[in-house]
Amino acid sequence: MTTATVRARIPHRKRSVRRRVSSIVLSVIAVIVFVCAAFPVYWMLQTSFQPNNEIIGSQVNFWPKTFTFRNYETVLFATDRAQFLPALGNSVIVTVLTVVIALIFAFLASLAVTRFRFRSRKSFILTILIVQMIPGEAMIVSTYRVLDDWALLNTIAGLTLVYVATVLPFTIWTLRGFVNGVPVDLEEAGMIDGLSRTGAFWKITFPLLAPGLVATGVFGFIQAWNEFLLALVVMSRPEMMTLPVWLRTFQVAHGTTNWAAIMAGSTLMSIPVIIFFLVIQGRMTQGLVSGAVKG
Amino acid sequence: MRKLSFVALAAAAAITLAGCAGGGTKTPAADDGPADIRVWLVGTDTPQDARDYLKTTFEKENPGSTLTIEEQSWTGLVDKLTTSLSGSDSPDVVEVGNTQAAAFTSSGAFLDLTDQYKALGGDDLLPGFVEAGSYDGKFYAAPLYSGSRLVFYKKDALAASGLTVPTTLAQYISNAEKLAADNPGKSGLWWPGQDWYNALPFIWENGGEIATFKDGTWASQFSSAGSIKGLEQVQELMTKASTAPKDGNETNPQVGFCEGTTLQLSAPSWVKWSILAAADAETPGCPDQESNLGVYALPGADGGAGQVFAGGSNIAVSAKSAHPGLAVKALKIILSDGFQTIYGKNGLVPAKVSLASTLGTDEVAKAISSAAGNARLTPASPKWADVEASGALTDFFVQIAQGGDIPSLAKALDAKIDGILNG
Amino acid sequence: MSTLVNRRARFTPYMLLIPATAVLLVVIGWPLIQLFIISFQEFGRAQVFGAPAPFIGFENYTKVLGDPAFWNVMVRSILFCLVNVVVTMVGGTLIALLMTKVNRFFRLLLSVGLLLAWAMPALTATIVWGWMFDTSYGVVNYALTNFFGLDFHAHSWLINPLSFFFVATVIVVWGAIPFVAFTVYAGLTQIPDEVMEAAQLDGARSTQRFRLIVFPYLKSIFLVVTILQVIWDLRVFTQIYALQGIGGIREQTSTLGVYIYQVALGSGEYGIGGAIAVITVFFMMAISLYYVRQSLKEEQL
Repeated sequence: MTTATVRARIPHRKRSVRRRVSSIVLSVIAVIVFVCAAFPVYWMLQTSFQPNNEIIGSQVNFWPKTFTFRNYETVLFATDRAQFLPALGNSVIVTVLTVVIALIFAFLASLAVTRFRFRSRKSFILTILIVQMIPGEAMIVSTYRVLDDWALLNTIAGLTLVYVATVLPFTIWTLRGFVNGVPVDLEEAGMIDGLSRTGAFWKITFPLLAPGLVATGVFGFIQAWNEFLLALVVMSRPEMMTLPVWLRTFQVAHGTTNWAAIMAGSTLMSIPVIIFFLVIQGRMTQGLVSGAVKG
Repeated sequence: MRKLSFVALAAAAAITLAGCAGGGTKTPAADDGPADIRVWLVGTDTPQDARDYLKTTFEKENPGSTLTIEEQSWTGLVDKLTTSLSGSDSPDVVEVGNTQAAAFTSSGAFLDLTDQYKALGGDDLLPGFVEAGSYDGKFYAAPLYSGSRLVFYKKDALAASGLTVPTTLAQYISNAEKLAADNPGKSGLWWPGQDWYNALPFIWENGGEIATFKDGTWASQFSSAGSIKGLEQVQELMTKASTAPKDGNETNPQVGFCEGTTLQLSAPSWVKWSILAAADAETPGCPDQESNLGVYALPGADGGAGQVFAGGSNIAVSAKSAHPGLAVKALKIILSDGFQTIYGKNGLVPAKVSLASTLGTDEVAKAISSAAGNARLTPASPKWADVEASGALTDFFVQIAQGGDIPSLAKALDAKIDGILNG
Repeated sequence: MSTLVNRRARFTPYMLLIPATAVLLVVIGWPLIQLFIISFQEFGRAQVFGAPAPFIGFENYTKVLGDPAFWNVMVRSILFCLVNVVVTMVGGTLIALLMTKVNRFFRLLLSVGLLLAWAMPALTATIVWGWMFDTSYGVVNYALTNFFGLDFHAHSWLINPLSFFFVATVIVVWGAIPFVAFTVYAGLTQIPDEVMEAAQLDGARSTQRFRLIVFPYLKSIFLVVTILQVIWDLRVFTQIYALQGIGGIREQTSTLGVYIYQVALGSGEYGIGGAIAVITVFFMMAISLYYVRQSLKEEQL
């Protein structure tokens, strides 16, 4: 071994030690981040399995002392207040319709603004951007009247229509980036190969767009699933309630707040979203990047 | 591209169709025929017995018609009533808080019931609530029930400190402070900062007012000499006698009481049932404390019953009701002796003076009737509901509870309330 | 090509825009016009029930602009937005970088944690956090008192406005970081390995490496994500509204969305609420002018 190689190896070893230390430190940080991110979810779950009289007291339990399903029974089957299952049904229908319709409409619109040059194209894009800045809280009464004029109060169609309009600007805005990212040449190449324009679209463009559609759809999903102010006034009949409104009835139902039941209700409201996110997670991030980078 | 344009048109058509389908279910207004009447009751104050009574009686008297009770929550009620009562899908009969009623009687949201006044009970109806439900000489909203605020206390704690049930407001204050001093860490009087209803008697008993009306303008009176004196007492109690959260609201009063950290609390009469709820109830109470649970009406400055705030509800028919005839029939059942007696049995003051005896004769009943005898209302302005909804009062008392400077806070509050009432 | 095809092509974009435009016109356009008209009227609850609404010129606007409460709300909203955007962006980027540095297992762990936080609806998230920060029964006070020996017994987190916004920031940032982290991480994975390796060989320090190599690659991602965060955080409603229901002083903690709601629906002053909304839109347009200009320039290409 020459002195030169020894000299060269020492810093190398030092570096690998340093690397190992830093990798341990980073792993520890990762665990801390995980705990911070997941703890509220854990806390919601564990509270929801405790009897109400054990969670309001001087002792705080980090794990249920008495494990009970009672809160879920209360939330799911109590007949003296709004029912969970109809509210779940309404929420699912409204959300799915909102996402599907918004995506279709937004896709058509983004085709128009990316694939064509026409007058008033720019002002359309500008409008789409400005509309996102309007505080919706101020328009509730006007929106309510529009729906009333169309006899859409207390209907799935009415709430869906409002939600579609709320998420459309953002959906068009983002989808535009994805459609832009699919080169026209590809479609044209397909047409030369004997496909019709629609055929070329379905076989070539659509698969490339799928992640983008998923990524944009997620935002419509979140919006429609969570919104409660419009849902509160538009769906005034109890059987038309959506989940956020249903959850609110628990928060203020009696002079007494049943925290355990609220946590059980929150859990039930969150589960569908968590499942949905787990299913689409991979596609979504893929979509987010391609949209942002190319947009 | 033609196909795509077609898709676009089809989608637009689908939306329109969906709209039509949704609207097609509506039946034209027909007052005589059988129909479904929607009644909005707020909160859980109205007992299940009363709800069943209303539904079965109505459906028996009006064969073919049905009555649906839809429970609403107090939070955001004014918002929801504003939209729902103005729309075509309006509920028929609605309950509204007595302090909120003026917002709707003055805006034409309710059906004019002046010619039904006699049939609904006439002068037997609770006068303060009739006033709250009237506007411009017309009668819009009938009383539904009244709840009074009582003071609940632990008999053993009072005895341990050598105290007796107070007979004057001054003694009430000194009692609470003595209890707090003798039991460090506990509330001699549990009083969360947002609970402003309990502060009103102190203002009234010291000669203050909430707001006065003169020459067409309202003047908020929180910074008047009498009010300031009352507010100082409020602050003293909140800071010295209460360990309740300074920005908390009045929910779950039973928890501290059952844990033993609350020795006294002032609350609506139904809180008795929260305290005595079974230990395995959804929101458990402590029934074993029943013999230790005492109750009295808030004493006045010069003895006797204090002037407390009369909480409660009014009930009215929506001006947009598609079946006003049936709605009025439902209203008559609600104001009938049969229905109102159920309130009395459940510790709420019935809408009719003549039914006061249904409250019974126990300690609570006695306290209720002496409190109700001296109950007062908030200013009879159509905009008072907006003052409550603005949150100015809860903000104010939260700041008082924190030990804020009373004269300057009161002045700012007066300016804000003047702005709303005269705006 | 025949003129027929050309003509069809000329109409196609308009056909494609019909469904979206129709929905927007009916549900946003029409109410927006009404809102604009209302903002020049005396429009209270009586007008909702059909009373005539007199025009009062700019009175609503002068009332709003002359009200210190409005300016307080405005400044508060902007500060809240700035803090939240900065914390979210920095935190999200750091977590994204962390994800590239740790091994597969820890990366998965991080993803799961972030996903849970992301999937939690804003309303339930606020309720759960509010419960954790509860004055009497919250786990935060309990832990600080019993594990760290601090006196947080019955400490109210919401009563002091700064502390209220601390809690609000925790909730908003907690919910927003996953989106930023996932997006930035996905962007990082697209930077070619050769580029990063070349930089390492050159001996570039890590901060320098980030600034000179990573950042330019992700510039467009950062721009889009930041704009979205600004729009969302300025309009934040659910978290503040729900948190005010739990505690705190509304007057000192309202942000724009909640303030408009309180004025319009809470107090029945729809005319004034409309004026605030119009002012807000103009204000937001002004601050996003740069971005709008940039995007329009790109559109010309």
